Amino acid sequence: MSKGTSIDALTRIGQDIVESIMAGRFPVFDIPDRRTGNIIFDTDEQEYVIGPTSVRRDSSNIRHVKSFAQLVWVASFAKELLKNNRTSSLRDLYYSSEAFDIEFADQAESDRIVGDLECLTGLPREEFGIFPEERSSIFGRVTMQYTVKGYEGKTVDLTISPDGLPIGPALMTAEPLDCKAELILAVESGGMFSRLIETRAWERFNAVLVQLGGQPPRATRRLIRRLHKTLDLPVYIFTDGDPWGMHIARVIMSGSANSAHIRELTVPTAKWMGVTADDIVSYSLPSEPMTNADLKRLDELKNDVRYNSSEWLHHINAFKDIRMKAEQQAFSRYGIDYVVDTYLADKLP
Amino acid sequence: MTEASLVGTEFTSISVAEFFYRNRQMVGFGNPTQAVYSTIRELVENSLDACEDAKILPEINVIIRRESSDLLLIEVSDNGPGMPYQFVPEAFGKVLFGSKYGLRHKRGTFGLGVTMAVLYGQLTTNYPATIITKHGQGEANEFRLLVDIKNNTPIIEYSGPNSSHSIGTKVTLKIRGDLKRSKLRITEYLRLTSVSTPHAQITLLIDDNPPIQFGRYSKMIPTPPRISRPHPRSADIELLHHLISNNNSMTLKAFLVDTFQKCGTKTATRFLHFLSLNPNRTTESLTRDEIVRISNALRNYNGFDKPESQCLSPIGKDSLMEALNRLYPSASIKYEIRGPFEWNGHPTILEGAVVITDSTPAENPSLIRFANKVPLLYDASDDVLTLAMKRINWNRYGVDTNSQVLLFVNLCSTRIPYREAGKQSIAAIPAIQSEAELLFKTLGRAIKRESSSIRRSKRNARKMREFSKYFRLIARYGALLASVETTPDTSKLVESLFEVK
Repeated sequence: MSKGTSIDALTRIGQDIVESIMAGRFPVFDIPDRRTGNIIFDTDEQEYVIGPTSVRRDSSNIRHVKSFAQLVWVASFAKELLKNNRTSSLRDLYYSSEAFDIEFADQAESDRIVGDLECLTGLPREEFGIFPEERSSIFGRVTMQYTVKGYEGKTVDLTISPDGLPIGPALMTAEPLDCKAELILAVESGGMFSRLIETRAWERFNAVLVQLGGQPPRATRRLIRRLHKTLDLPVYIFTDGDPWGMHIARVIMSGSANSAHIRELTVPTAKWMGVTADDIVSYSLPSEPMTNADLKRLDELKNDVRYNSSEWLHHINAFKDIRMKAEQQAFSRYGIDYVVDTYLADKLP
Repeated sequence: MTEASLVGTEFTSISVAEFFYRNRQMVGFGNPTQAVYSTIRELVENSLDACEDAKILPEINVIIRRESSDLLLIEVSDNGPGMPYQFVPEAFGKVLFGSKYGLRHKRGTFGLGVTMAVLYGQLTTNYPATIITKHGQGEANEFRLLVDIKNNTPIIEYSGPNSSHSIGTKVTLKIRGDLKRSKLRITEYLRLTSVSTPHAQITLLIDDNPPIQFGRYSKMIPTPPRISRPHPRSADIELLHHLISNNNSMTLKAFLVDTFQKCGTKTATRFLHFLSLNPNRTTESLTRDEIVRISNALRNYNGFDKPESQCLSPIGKDSLMEALNRLYPSASIKYEIRGPFEWNGHPTILEGAVVITDSTPAENPSLIRFANKVPLLYDASDDVLTLAMKRINWNRYGVDTNSQVLLFVNLCSTRIPYREAGKQSIAAIPAIQSEAELLFKTLGRAIKRESSSIRRSKRNARKMREFSKYFRLIARYGALLASVETTPDTSKLVESLFEVK
């Protein structure tokens, strides 16, 4: 989506408000409803989408007027960012609000308003230059060409830094130019990401490495999908062996309820390689017993539509049987490079 | 007195005037401060009563001039109808002479006060009182009077026409008193008088200071109360004697019917039958014991209707509210009235207003007492209204430290049971106290409603402020988004939403 379209969308919001007030009417917004009742799992696309209902935010309603004002301000803040080719973070936006007489109770509230703006415009906040503070990293034999102002046409080799390259606004909008990799390997922890760089696993498996850092920011999911789509690279996901790790993979594949209003984030064909419950058993991994929270989470996932397939139910049930969990690092028991030499070699094509 | 102390004591009778002079603290002249206050009060009340009877909007001027440190010249003049000249000497120079003996609600009841002022002035300064009054057509008359204390009779030093005086009555006295310490009481008294008599305009001039004006807050002249006959239940032995000796001899039945209200021939017959007295006995023939019996029976017989209340003249809702609204412009004010009820056969009304102001309260609630519209400034602690107020749990009605609650209560009755002749404190009559408690409870509920509505309107105002703040931001950032120069005006929309008139 171009910058111009985003600016236009924001300007239209302002025009509606001004026209409405001039005509003596209280401005209203009809925003697609993001509450759970209106989030539907699209089985064809294997992802969450937003349903048909919308909620009206009415500026004449005393309970709405504050969040209405916050929303208009976030829109104007976004427009300023776009006009000046700036980006900002959710945290930065939260702290900037004070200077504009806008109050947010906490960052959760301002994040929610940013979500409202996404819903209202149908555009992801990244289009408005608003990113989360946390950043994932990427490393691999892909050359990207920047499109951001001041760097237009410059290229970057994603192996340029042995630490990996942070996935920020510039990389988000860069175009893949050249690719020698054959797959994408997304790993949960920073430690494993470094290990795979150091052991040159990327070379061995021809992989683009992505560090997720827990549940990845949407920018990371978007970049994975873009590389997957444009370069036709299969996606493998390597997480800890527990319900939380499993869910990181599932969100990359089918999306989350939280961002059901945002399209083009998911890779339904991605594959979770592990650590599965079966891996814990067959590799005799050092493991620890699951906590009550882990077990409860397993039950939740069991009722989640995204896990409604024999493959996923098998994973859940296997965990429930052994009641044990293991981290990615568990492989170190067999030597520091065991995970690369044996586990990944077994699992990757 | 012991027998020994009686030896050598010369027994002499003293006149009423002498008695009251000796016991002057009883009537409000106990010290130089109170004396100034009481003098002003007696004169102002006489003027107010005179104007009220004649349905005149009172204009009263009070002048106090300090001639030396404690020698004060006090002059009170009104625009009333003046006094019939032949009554002037006795009204000012004889204790217990007064026009207030009819049974109706009046400010003064003892016929004592103004003569006490004259007497006090005479004894402290040796100056006579000067009264100039214009009554009817023709020239005004001027009197200079002293009181013959031994004989309780007026001494006329001078009387004659005064051609320069054109309206009403002007009384000038010289007394020794403490103006410095009484000044606050006097202004407070006049201020409160303007509340209970909102149609009066009172001007106070002390020495060369700029005049202070109290009232007028209303142009409504209250209807003068009707004079009514006494109710049988109020007939104590004293009154009964007085009534019997003041009438020519007649039959007992005719006497009852003629003298009392609520006592027609039927009721009188039934009453006398109840007492087994011959209705045709003459009043002359009644023995002392029989009079005592009749008096007791009159007070206890329950076949008499409630006393009439047309003889009462409460301040009234409109007048009191108008005055209080002017005095406390931003306060919320509620009025309640109780009665008529009776105590010992005296019809009585209690009216009260509650004023809730923003100021920080010293004591809460604060009681301001009136008896027949006269503000009571002294001896609050034993007053029946104070006692009743103290029995109320005001916390229950939301009286707290956030706003000052003022209770203005006027006891209105054909007989105010003062605790002493100084008329500053009302005795704790159970019937009055229980009615006062009920009045306070009603006022309390009004306070509760009012303070919650005050809270509500404060909350609404805050809501509107908040709302308009956010709505202005919507307009401002909306305009910024739309890239238009001027932020659209939001006030009309906001006002329409909150229905601001």
